[in-house]
Amino acid sequence: MKQNHTLYFRLNRLFYTCLLLLLLACNGKKQEPATGQVIVFRDDLGRELKLQHQPKRVMAFSPAMTEMLFAICDTATIIARTPQCDYPTQVVTKPIVSNYPVDYEQVLALKPDLIFSSEGIVPMEVVEKLKELGVPVYIQKYRTVEDVFKGMEAIGKIMGREQQANHLADSLRQQVKQLEQRHKGQARPQQVLAITWTDPIYVYGQNTILTDKLHILGAQNAVQEVFDQPYPALTREYILKLNPNVLLGGSPEKLEQTFFSQYPELRKIKAYQNHRIYAVTGNLMERPGPRVVESILELERLLYP
Amino acid sequence: MSRTLYFIVALLLILIVLVLGLQVGSFDTGLASIADAFFNYNPDNTIHYAIVHLRLPRLLLALVVGASLAFCGYLMQAMVNNALADPYLLGTASGASLGAVLVFFGFVDVAIAGFYMPPVFALLGAFIVTLVVVRLGYRKRQLIPAQLLLAGVAISSLATAIVGLLTFLSDSEGKLKAVIFWSMGSFERASWSLLPYPAAALILALILFAFLQKQLNILLLGADRAQALGVQVVKTRWAILATVSVVTGFAVATSGPIGFVGLIVPHVTRALMGTTGKSNLLFCAFTGGLFMLLCDLLSRVIYPPAGLPIGIITSFFGVPFFVYLLSRKNYKFSS
Repeated sequence: MKQNHTLYFRLNRLFYTCLLLLLLACNGKKQEPATGQVIVFRDDLGRELKLQHQPKRVMAFSPAMTEMLFAICDTATIIARTPQCDYPTQVVTKPIVSNYPVDYEQVLALKPDLIFSSEGIVPMEVVEKLKELGVPVYIQKYRTVEDVFKGMEAIGKIMGREQQANHLADSLRQQVKQLEQRHKGQARPQQVLAITWTDPIYVYGQNTILTDKLHILGAQNAVQEVFDQPYPALTREYILKLNPNVLLGGSPEKLEQTFFSQYPELRKIKAYQNHRIYAVTGNLMERPGPRVVESILELERLLYP
Repeated sequence: MSRTLYFIVALLLILIVLVLGLQVGSFDTGLASIADAFFNYNPDNTIHYAIVHLRLPRLLLALVVGASLAFCGYLMQAMVNNALADPYLLGTASGASLGAVLVFFGFVDVAIAGFYMPPVFALLGAFIVTLVVVRLGYRKRQLIPAQLLLAGVAISSLATAIVGLLTFLSDSEGKLKAVIFWSMGSFERASWSLLPYPAAALILALILFAFLQKQLNILLLGADRAQALGVQVVKTRWAILATVSVVTGFAVATSGPIGFVGLIVPHVTRALMGTTGKSNLLFCAFTGGLFMLLCDLLSRVIYPPAGLPIGIITSFFGVPFFVYLLSRKNYKFSS
């Protein structure tokens, strides 16, 4: 399988090299149409990226970013997806590139002008290696919902689709504003704890985008303390002390099986006593993309039934 | 005389660390509220509840698991007559990890009939791997220690490789975290319903070997001489094997494979009490429990609230002490 892959790639490269030589031989003059038009910009990590021309072939290393590209770019410019990318539906027509571990050969075979990613998806070591191979990686990071909108606008600018991007970002901003209006000034904001794993217990920390989503809805992330990790591990005692009103992370039946049967002590928390335990759609909760408002609306339905 | 003193010091230290440990947690609690929780227990008071149902079982589990691992390490070192032996020699640790990881990766339901499966499968994994290792180390109706050692290393590597493969193929971060937990250990899932299993296994083993300590000491002279001196070498070895696999199995299934304790505490014991002390096993268990309590306390103080994985702490604080011990001139493994 791998062998075939490599062989295919080599033949491919050979073919393209020949083609290139042929082209060079035919019209040596037409080569440098856009010299002096180097595009320079910075990503959210402050890294400087240089492009010879506006990117025409792009892909993303995260499902959320793929959703962003589909919402903003001409779909013909999106040349690949990762194994986790499953939205929007037309994404399935794109070839799959492994992002863990990164399939360098496949990336080179597809020759993207630029790869979009967000913080923490691929190690920086991989990013550097791709840069050496001539494929720059643009990385965004989001702490708030507004960061996601800004990210959309940045993608629009890079891809020459500013109008689409700004229009999308503005209409989403409008929806967020309405949500904020609706839930402004809650007398006693609901304390929400969202778990990502039950053994050990990992939760959405203060420095995740969930905190801002809840804030928009007039509620609070029960975890107020800021930990180094975005998803800190907590003890049962810590959760007893938080005593959240709402627990997110699985249906009551599922959490009864995997969580409360293992930690019966946690049946004391308000969320359990008042039956306020909900499952959220993983794809919405976890992806900072164009469906971020959809995710907030889902949370709204759960928090204000 | 000095041996009795060591015992008293160890017991006192255990008590002190227990009291200190009861005060560490997310709720602010001083000695007064701890005393209050025990003498005026009010189930509706969350602080009381946390002290009695979360902190105390956690400390006791650390004590029991530390004691179990140290005790089993001592037995294994005596059986294979090798200073490098530890309780995981029979593949218990990697077998348990494999069992638990299989559950986390969805090969088995997480809960069957209301029972949470990872510890159950960890125990099963530990036993199955141990059985295979023992089978390989058994030849001509004899247990051959060298063969047992090699079989243990080989089968452990295989189990570790399978865990590695599953980890690599995992599709979610949560699963990775679960694997990390299972490779370094934690006492966070301690509860009154879990505690009796490892505790009962340890206490029964301590009673059994109270009668076998002498045999064990003679075994250090080598199998042939021990046989000549009237020790039933084969039976003693089987007793050790069975005990180690059960006691370590329960310890690992409840807390994950915590390294190093089973290796160094037996050496500490021999350094302090002599290689053939009459109550070495008991002292070894106390010291192991004390060491684990200290490590757990440290892990929670350094990195609240969840604590660093306990295996990291045991190595960090155990290794320097071990090196010091090795550099002492008068320490010898066997007499």
